[in-house]
Amino acid sequence: MTESAATAGAFRHVGFFYRTAKEYATTVAGFLGAGVAAGEPAFAAVPAGNVSLIADALGADARHVEFADMMELGRNPAWIIPRVLGFAARHAGRRIRYVGEPIWAARRPAELREATRHEALVNVAFAGADAEILCPYDTAQLAPAVIADARRTHPLLVADGDHGTSPEYAEPFRLPSSCSQSLPGPPQAAMIHTYRTDLSRVRALVRQHTTEAGLPGPRATDLVLAVSEVAANTLRHTPSAGTLTIWHDLDEIICEIHDDGVITDPLAGRRRPAPDAHGGHGLWLVYQVCDLVELRSGSTGTTIRMHMAIRPSPALG
Amino acid sequence: MVKTGVDLLTTSVATVESDSEPYTLVELTGEADVTNSDALREVLDAEVAKQPRTMIIDLSGLRFMDSSALHVILRANRVMDRQGGVLALACPREPVAKMLRLTAADQLIPVYPSVSEATAG
Repeated sequence: MTESAATAGAFRHVGFFYRTAKEYATTVAGFLGAGVAAGEPAFAAVPAGNVSLIADALGADARHVEFADMMELGRNPAWIIPRVLGFAARHAGRRIRYVGEPIWAARRPAELREATRHEALVNVAFAGADAEILCPYDTAQLAPAVIADARRTHPLLVADGDHGTSPEYAEPFRLPSSCSQSLPGPPQAAMIHTYRTDLSRVRALVRQHTTEAGLPGPRATDLVLAVSEVAANTLRHTPSAGTLTIWHDLDEIICEIHDDGVITDPLAGRRRPAPDAHGGHGLWLVYQVCDLVELRSGSTGTTIRMHMAIRPSPALG
Repeated sequence: MVKTGVDLLTTSVATVESDSEPYTLVELTGEADVTNSDALREVLDAEVAKQPRTMIIDLSGLRFMDSSALHVILRANRVMDRQGGVLALACPREPVAKMLRLTAADQLIPVYPSVSEATAG
């Protein structure tokens, strides 16, 4: 990783495939250390257990690197891009280095879909930015399909010490099918409600189901806000009714809104709107308060699926 | 007393005399969302047009607020700013307070725990 001088000003998004902790520590610390040596602000968001691997390998340089636990910061992958954009904004005018490891083996299928979508959207969010991004993937733990998607979402790859471009990376931007095809259907027992203008009723139904599912009060309030914001978009942007579907299991409660609207901006809600912006706060709030949000939009309308964990995951204590 | 939207939101407006200067107090009660944000805009526009030095919106009775209502308040704040006046929010319940934090609207508009603290500025 000594090419940064030659490619200064270019955005680089590199997938790094590793098998061992030693390989991980050497490459990631090398990447960050080169940034520190060049006076570039450096940020690493990786699962908590990997922070110490990197910090130990960096030694004294570690104090110049900002670290975050990705299992918290990226629990909802939609939180990552705003956080890294915020880091870049705090160091405006300087080239930044970022290590992001949003995918680990214990991620559930819906989380994996969203984390993969996040990786694809990094290419849009940082296009033209003065930034170098390295994304480690543990090939010893992760499924081959996950690695195949990483080859689709990263223009550049590092594996076994070899640097190269990814033949599977598609220009212009396309989401991998694993995170853009239709979502698996709701269970038979799901509650379905059609609404036109009565959003108070929509909120009451969500609140009632959060009680049945055992979602704690403040989180129930968050889910009510999220669903109401999405349903408000139905009223704002479509002439027709919307559908609310709610279901839950022991782990999570899910509210899904479908309507005839179309969302064309792939980063909608994933960039922090200016406080006095005339719009754009709705989806931002939805992504901020939910544990996970899945969005599909196309000729058949828009589906937004909002997940709330009923109990905090063990990873968060 | 003006009923707005689908009777979800009640607004009441008063001019309050105080030790220093009179201020406009707008109390919102109920649920403020996209279905009544036009009515809310009319109420706030009418008060802002009177060019008060201080306008306080009492949110203590508001159970719910969505981003449509927030935009109406942000718009009123912009006009108040231009007129050299001050808009303040008082006593939001936690869900509304959280929404103001997440949108960073609380960095544009001062938020106070009570109307009396808002008047003290």
